[in-house]
Amino acid sequence: MNPAQGGWLIFLTLMVAMVLSALYLPQDWPQWLAWLRPTWVMLAVFFWVVEVPHRIGLISTWLIGLLVDVLYAEPLGLNGLILSILTFVTWRFYERLRMFSIPQQGGVVFLLILMGEAMRMVVLNLTMDRELTWMMVLPALTSLALWPFVWPVLTSAKNRFRVE
Amino acid sequence: MFVRESGAGYLLAGLAIVSALLVTLETATRLLEPVRSGIASVVAPIQLIAHLPYSIGEGVGDVVASQDSLLSENQQLERRVLELSQVSQQFLALKAENERLRELLSSRARLSAEVLIAELVSVIPAPDTHQIIIDKGSSSGVYPGQAVIDSEGLFGQVVEVGAFTSRVLLITDIRHALPVEVNRSGVRSIAGGTGRIDQLVLEHVPVTADIREGDLVVSSGLGGLFPRGYPVGRVESVLVMSTQSFAQITVRPSAALDRSRHVLLIFDRQGQGEAPAVTAEPSQETDADSEPEADLSGDAP
Repeated sequence: MNPAQGGWLIFLTLMVAMVLSALYLPQDWPQWLAWLRPTWVMLAVFFWVVEVPHRIGLISTWLIGLLVDVLYAEPLGLNGLILSILTFVTWRFYERLRMFSIPQQGGVVFLLILMGEAMRMVVLNLTMDRELTWMMVLPALTSLALWPFVWPVLTSAKNRFRVE
Repeated sequence: MFVRESGAGYLLAGLAIVSALLVTLETATRLLEPVRSGIASVVAPIQLIAHLPYSIGEGVGDVVASQDSLLSENQQLERRVLELSQVSQQFLALKAENERLRELLSSRARLSAEVLIAELVSVIPAPDTHQIIIDKGSSSGVYPGQAVIDSEGLFGQVVEVGAFTSRVLLITDIRHALPVEVNRSGVRSIAGGTGRIDQLVLEHVPVTADIREGDLVVSSGLGGLFPRGYPVGRVESVLVMSTQSFAQITVRPSAALDRSRHVLLIFDRQGQGEAPAVTAEPSQETDADSEPEADLSGDAP
């Protein structure tokens, strides 16, 4: 089979994840709801690294992170580093992760995202005076809650377009 | 297998170093601004797509608006135009008088000249920062540090300029502060953001300062960034404690920071005061021009 098949699908899902991250709340809604936003890009990257680890590289995830940096007005390089660490760790265990049940995978997702959010919070605190708060657990929790829905959607897309 | 065979660990370490370097560079210097602007132009389509639900919502709202609501809106707008044109007539006379007096003092009138209307296309989707994206960028002449107002008062400043969009830091963001003065008494202070969209604080105001609840706070123009005299907010509460040397004063911003969809960019490169006087020319953008300045003349002491 053509080894480069379906690269566009990976790209597309990452773009969709980014659009989902860029969606903002209507301005008359309580703004704390924004804490509940799952980290879509991390979810998508995690999925693709587990399923097709040879298609995702550290440098490409780092470059995607640059886009997220600008999207969220965060220091350049921050999200790239978080995403590449996520990729690296997932690479190490992708064979095991494939065997995991969805709740188990969700647990790993939770831990990885928690780690990423903690890192983000510390760097933002140092560079942009943002507060250190326990709210950063919420994105990890909502990502965990959404994993059982994200996984089947991405899997069926992957099987349908035969991304190898 | 990928990790062990490809030496990805070294690559990751390299990326970590590059990231740390970038973050440090960006915190300490402005070297990376062009890079950011470049990436901002790439990211703009994503933000525009994320904005689609809102533009569609607005479009549908425009199409299905009932005749009654349109009529009443029209009446309201007509009334507002009348009010504003009355104020602006006054304003013209006052401006002429002001210029004459300033000529007598041989000092220069400093009134900002041109404005550009911009529309909000996105909000930075993080709950602990107040920043928006507007649909004008370097192609329209927007520059970093430019002051942004809405119809009610000072809104924020441009912090990042892409080709077709730019990012605006609102005055209530925790990182924002601007020099202000109290319109009634002339007391100067710094209005700092609190991270709450409806509150600013006046920093380091001595307990003896003449500031009361309800006072209008306007920009003082001292920082050289914001033009002078735009309304910032009204004093909401003044708390004087005998044990402290500074009063705790909160201000409610005049601008509709969480509601405005249209803002005005002020072109005021002469704000530093060295350049020749700029006479406000009611040019092609008269309608937009008159509004903020009309506010001023209404509050003139």
